[in-house]
Amino acid sequence: MTSKIINMVEKLKDAEDRLLESMFAAEPIADGGFSQRIVAQIRRRIWVRRLALPVAMLVGGIVAFKPVMQLVTVSSTLLGVVPREFLEIPASVLPQVESVTFGMPLMPMIVLSAMVVMAGILGTRLLNE
Amino acid sequence: MACDGAWQIIQTATLLEVEDQSLVTLAVASQDTAAYGELIRRHQSQVRNFLRKLAGGSTEDADDLAQECFLHAWDKLQTFSGRGSFIGWLLKVAYTTFLQSKRKSKRYSEVLNEVGYVAEQQSRSYTQDTNEVSDLDKLLAVLTEEERAIMVMSYACGLSHREIGDATGLPVGTVKSIIFRGKDKIRTNFDIKDHKHG
Repeated sequence: MTSKIINMVEKLKDAEDRLLESMFAAEPIADGGFSQRIVAQIRRRIWVRRLALPVAMLVGGIVAFKPVMQLVTVSSTLLGVVPREFLEIPASVLPQVESVTFGMPLMPMIVLSAMVVMAGILGTRLLNE
Repeated sequence: MACDGAWQIIQTATLLEVEDQSLVTLAVASQDTAAYGELIRRHQSQVRNFLRKLAGGSTEDADDLAQECFLHAWDKLQTFSGRGSFIGWLLKVAYTTFLQSKRKSKRYSEVLNEVGYVAEQQSRSYTQDTNEVSDLDKLLAVLTEEERAIMVMSYACGLSHREIGDATGLPVGTVKSIIFRGKDKIRTNFDIKDHKHG
C-alpha cells in the first residue's frame, strides 16, 4: 500500500520535471552493427574458453610426459633395490611394470593418466570459478 | 544453408516477441548469444545515451564504454534477479563500468605524474570536451558526477527512484535528495524556461 502511494507521488510530476525530461530527452541511437559486434566478441570468448581446457591439458601432457617417464623409470629401478621382505605383497595386487599397453609400460601409463585427469578436474574447477 | 537462414529469420522473429526476463533466462540457461543480442539491440540506445551524457567526452569513448558494459553484463547475467527492470540493472552495470574506467584513468594519470610526464589536460571540465556545447552540456556541467548520473537515470532513462537506488546502491531517500539538490543547482544557474533542447 505504502509503495503504491510512493509510486503515485513519484508519478505526479510538476511542470519543471516535464521540462527537465524534455531537455534530457535524446534521439534514439541506431544500432548500426553495435549489437552484432558485441555478440561476435562474446562468441569468440566462449570458443576460447571451450578450447582453453583441452589445449591446456594437451600442452601440460606434452610438457609433463618426459619428466614423468623419467621419474617412473627411476622409481621402478629403485623398487628393485628394496629388500624382498618389504615387498611381500601378492604380485597380482601391484600393477605389473613389465606389461605393455598401447606400446607403453603400464606404470607410466597409469601415472600419466592420473595426472591428466587431475589437470582436467583442476581446469574445470578453475573455469567454473 | 538456405535452411539455416530461414531458421535464423524464424528465431529472430520469435525473439522480437519475447520479454526481457525470458530472454535473460534463455541467455543464461543455454548461453544463447542470439537472445542476448536481442537484449543488446533493445537497450543499446539507452545505455549509449546514458554513457554519452555521463562521460561527456567523445562519442567513441562512450561507445567503447558501452561495449565494455555489455560484455560485463554478459558475464554477470546470472546475477540479474528479475526483481527490477532489465534496463535498470543494465544501467547499474554501465555506471559501475564508467566508475571503474574513471578510476583506472585516474590511476594512470597519477603514475604518469609520478614519473614526471606532463599529461595533456586530462582533468579538463565537462564542457571543454566538446567543441559544440549544448544547453544540456552546460546544465550537466554544474552537477557533480553522482548528481549527473542520477539526474540522467531519472530524466533521460525514466527510471523510478527505487530503480536508481538499486543501480547506484543508494537509499531511495538519498536519491530523492540528490535529485532535489540537482534541480536546485540547475534552477540557480539557469533559467530553464528559456532552454533549447540538448
